[in-house]
Amino acid sequence: MKLNLLTLLPILLLLMLASCEQEYIPIKSGEGPKYVVEGYLEAGEAPFPTYVILTRTFDFFSEIGPDQFNSSFVRNAVVIVSDGEADVVLPEVCLSQLDPAIRKLVAAQFGLNSDTLSIDFCVYVDLLGLVQPEEGRTYTLRIEVDTDVITATTTIPPHVRIDSLRFLPPPGKPNDSLAQLKCFLADPPGVRNFYRYFGSTNGGPYEKSFSTVEEDLFFDGKSFDFQLFNPATTNGNADPDQFGLYFVGDTVTIKWCSIDEAHFDFWNTLEFSNANQGPFASYTRLQSNINGGLGIWGGYSISYYTRVVAY
Amino acid sequence: MFRHSVMRIRRLRSLMLVLGQLCVALSIAQPKFTISGYVKDSQSGETLIGANIYLENQPSTGTVTNTYGFYSLTLQEGSYRLVFSYLGYQSRLESVTLSQSTQVNVSLSSGLAMQEVVVTAKAEEEDDNVQSTSMGRVSLPVDQIKVLPALLGEVDVLKTIQLLPGVSSAGEGSAGFYVRGGGADQNLVLLDEAVVYNSGHFLGFFSVFNADAIKNTTLIKGGIPAVYGGRLSSVLDIQMKEGNNQQFQSEGGIGLISSRLTLEGPIVKDKSSFLISGRRTYGFDLAQPFINKTDFAGTNYFFYDVNAKVNYQFSQKDRVYLSGYFGRDVLNFEQRDRDFRFRLPYGNATATLRWNHLFNDKLFFNLSAIYNDYQFRAGFDQEEFKFSIYSGVRDFNMKLDFDYFPSNDHQIKTGIHGTHHKLTPNIISGSAGDVEFESTTTPKYANEFAVYIQDDWRISPRFRVNLGLRGTLFQQTGPYTSKHTGESFSGGEVVQTYSSLEPRLFMNTSLTEQSSIKAGVTATTQYLHLVSNSSSTLPADVWVPSTEVVKPQRGWQYAAGYFQNFRSNTYEASVEVYYKSLRDQIDYRESFVDNSVDQVEDEFVFGKGRAYGLELFVRKNKGALNGWLGYTLSRTERSFPDIENGRIYPATYDRTHDLSLVSNYNISPRITTGVVFIYATGRTYTSLERLYLIEGQLQTDYGPRNSQRLEPYHRMDVSVTLWPKKKEIRKFNSHWVFSLYNLYNRKNTFFLYTDYETDLTQGTASAKAYKVTIFPVLPSVTWNFKWR
Repeated sequence: MKLNLLTLLPILLLLMLASCEQEYIPIKSGEGPKYVVEGYLEAGEAPFPTYVILTRTFDFFSEIGPDQFNSSFVRNAVVIVSDGEADVVLPEVCLSQLDPAIRKLVAAQFGLNSDTLSIDFCVYVDLLGLVQPEEGRTYTLRIEVDTDVITATTTIPPHVRIDSLRFLPPPGKPNDSLAQLKCFLADPPGVRNFYRYFGSTNGGPYEKSFSTVEEDLFFDGKSFDFQLFNPATTNGNADPDQFGLYFVGDTVTIKWCSIDEAHFDFWNTLEFSNANQGPFASYTRLQSNINGGLGIWGGYSISYYTRVVAY
Repeated sequence: MFRHSVMRIRRLRSLMLVLGQLCVALSIAQPKFTISGYVKDSQSGETLIGANIYLENQPSTGTVTNTYGFYSLTLQEGSYRLVFSYLGYQSRLESVTLSQSTQVNVSLSSGLAMQEVVVTAKAEEEDDNVQSTSMGRVSLPVDQIKVLPALLGEVDVLKTIQLLPGVSSAGEGSAGFYVRGGGADQNLVLLDEAVVYNSGHFLGFFSVFNADAIKNTTLIKGGIPAVYGGRLSSVLDIQMKEGNNQQFQSEGGIGLISSRLTLEGPIVKDKSSFLISGRRTYGFDLAQPFINKTDFAGTNYFFYDVNAKVNYQFSQKDRVYLSGYFGRDVLNFEQRDRDFRFRLPYGNATATLRWNHLFNDKLFFNLSAIYNDYQFRAGFDQEEFKFSIYSGVRDFNMKLDFDYFPSNDHQIKTGIHGTHHKLTPNIISGSAGDVEFESTTTPKYANEFAVYIQDDWRISPRFRVNLGLRGTLFQQTGPYTSKHTGESFSGGEVVQTYSSLEPRLFMNTSLTEQSSIKAGVTATTQYLHLVSNSSSTLPADVWVPSTEVVKPQRGWQYAAGYFQNFRSNTYEASVEVYYKSLRDQIDYRESFVDNSVDQVEDEFVFGKGRAYGLELFVRKNKGALNGWLGYTLSRTERSFPDIENGRIYPATYDRTHDLSLVSNYNISPRITTGVVFIYATGRTYTSLERLYLIEGQLQTDYGPRNSQRLEPYHRMDVSVTLWPKKKEIRKFNSHWVFSLYNLYNRKNTFFLYTDYETDLTQGTASAKAYKVTIFPVLPSVTWNFKWR
């Protein structure tokens, strides 16, 4: 639904003019690393356990290897999640500590295959389910690493479900093996709503498109149909003729999330920053809700919709 | 005997003193009369702006023609030999016996054959750069711009202006410019007095000014006289040609990018003339047969300009001008196999109606009614889904100006200006089937008034001052509903008022006939703002007025300079220093994303800026080899409390060193060569400091804003102009211009981008930054013709 107005013009420009590119080694000011937090809470259907990945930033090296990945995980931190009434300390779990069967299961939850994984992935995770995220509640995160303290707060908003989904023939040239997905949403009036979605095809991992978040600034309280892109066909390797479309016969699951404003701002700035490169783009600093570091502490309220692609 | 002699000598001396005093008294009592009139081009009848009129034996007594070619000179009764001169024209000597006020209209003929073009950025005329109070003021006659090398052969006044000291380019190939550390929106760009809100075509690569329709371009980067206001940094005053009132003529050209055609001629000879000039690009038109065979049939891009002007001289005292400009960029993108259409039209329209009236030979009056309109629209649709965005500025402007020449020691200008603004921010609308969406944004309205008076006062032959004062009043008016107080204002009701008193003072002390020291101070206020989230301004950027949230920008500039001419004004040189302080500067907050904004001013942060620098300028005005060398050493800084806690950082357009060499050599009457060389410190950028993973993908953590620089920018362009043989200069003649842009193929960085790849399973990632260069060595050829 967004219009990146000037996307087309630079393309046009670059087509017209003989451009060339060379690798450029950026100059750094040499400040030290920062903490990076990536932690989520899920309420609603089939919630994933609350977890936090705590790492340190890499320098702007052109190549990063397994050793650097392994050493980026911040170990032995104290990670506490609070709903205002109870504090839960999340234990640290590294894949190397687990027996192979459990390792495989845990790795799969993060979209990884432990058989071929070359890094020792570490996460602070609520394996016992002591945190029970609920819609409408606010959760704080407190992380202590030696003398450093990192904090963040997120709210899980009430969930707004998709009313219905249907597959239609693709726009333009007829092609009976492709389909577009139309969703019907009734946005609640009078409140600001923020949405995010992921897609999974045939039981595979959840993927995301180049643009996963939306807010109701221009459609507050409206009920309307909109096209939801297939994340699998929006990445750089996809055939442009299939852009955003689904393949007839596939089974597709949409993970539909309501998020709060700070959570939206993080993904909105991240996606804008990633997409907004080019001759006239200036930098965009990601708007983080983490005090004392980078990243996101985000709450989701979730619903899932599984459909076979057909029309 | 000796004592008697001494006494007689003393008496004689006393007598002489008394006689002398009597003569002075008599001379004071002697009546004064005024010579006034217009100075014109003999072939076309075009009035000449900034032509010099002075006494042959007393060059310091003289004046200069105003914007309409009018002059007024008051002298005692007697006989005089008056010199009328204008650069590139044969000077003319007129003997005048003055026993009553008289009107002398003079036509000057282009003294140089057209092959011998002199390229100078002329500071008014001859030694006027030394004698006048004006500072940082440069005029560029268009004929002289046309022989310089041009990107893809497109002659561009804005790109030539960038070659002057104190002026820097907005980027590779860009027609945008920054003056003495001011933002792109801080330049007042006027076309026949109408404000041009967006002066760029094709994302700013080409300016909207078709050189064939332009008579004169004046840039004021320093001492902005009180007659101008509304912008902090500079004035770029462009006058369109009036049209030949002697004979019909046409001129035009065919280039790689566009073609041009201008028709002009008398409607009533010596009284009335017209001019109509058009330019259009056609690269994509030529490709249409190929595009139409693809799924992209209907896709096209072009831009065009139309300039038109008529004037009528009702009497020796009354003349009316009507001029207009209309230009558009049009991008249509069609992808039929996806049922997708994208439309992007944008452009300016201006209209200026002016009435010149001479109340008497000392009082010149001009009344202007001006309309301008900048519109930007973009929209796409696919099946039943439609989306569009619209923004724009529309002004109605009335100006009443008087030029009063009470004596040769005073030239007074005074006037009153009033403008009604309508500023439409991004209004978004869309529909999905029957459901319609619309942003709650509404246009904003404002009135802007100014009253000014300035006097160019020659206190003594060696000391002149230009005293000016401009008072301005700005009112945001309804309909408007305050987001902060909830108060509603009806149409025309005043929401917020700002006012300002802007003193302007410039002084000139002549040290010798050929050298002077000048100093000046300029206060300016800006009520309309263009804030860009890009590295350069773009057509989609929105002009916003001062409101209850957004305060006017205010600036003070202090400048001083030493000016010296050599060898009968063949060479001139100047050193100028300036310091500029800027308040209430505007930028977007950090992490601003423009896709979820209703009121754009809620995304602004406010801060301050300063700029200071040293400018050196040497030019050779005459001879087969001519041109100039300009060098600027400067610093431009900004500071916003809400950006990195107020850290002072260099602005995006900060250039420590900026050097331009412009030279033109007439090898023979048939061949002129032009060379331009530019060197500038690399542009600042925000450092790519660290990397981190989010959802398995690398992200950038940026360092402090503008803390790093790209490598220096430098480039050389050359051109060769082949003129016709002299005998061919008759009814029809044509010439060829061959240009090579970026002669030695310097790979200047146009932009940087990053490319990240991550494979978590393998535990590997690659993060690469690339610099992109767009203009390699680019040849071009243009064929220009003139027929009369």
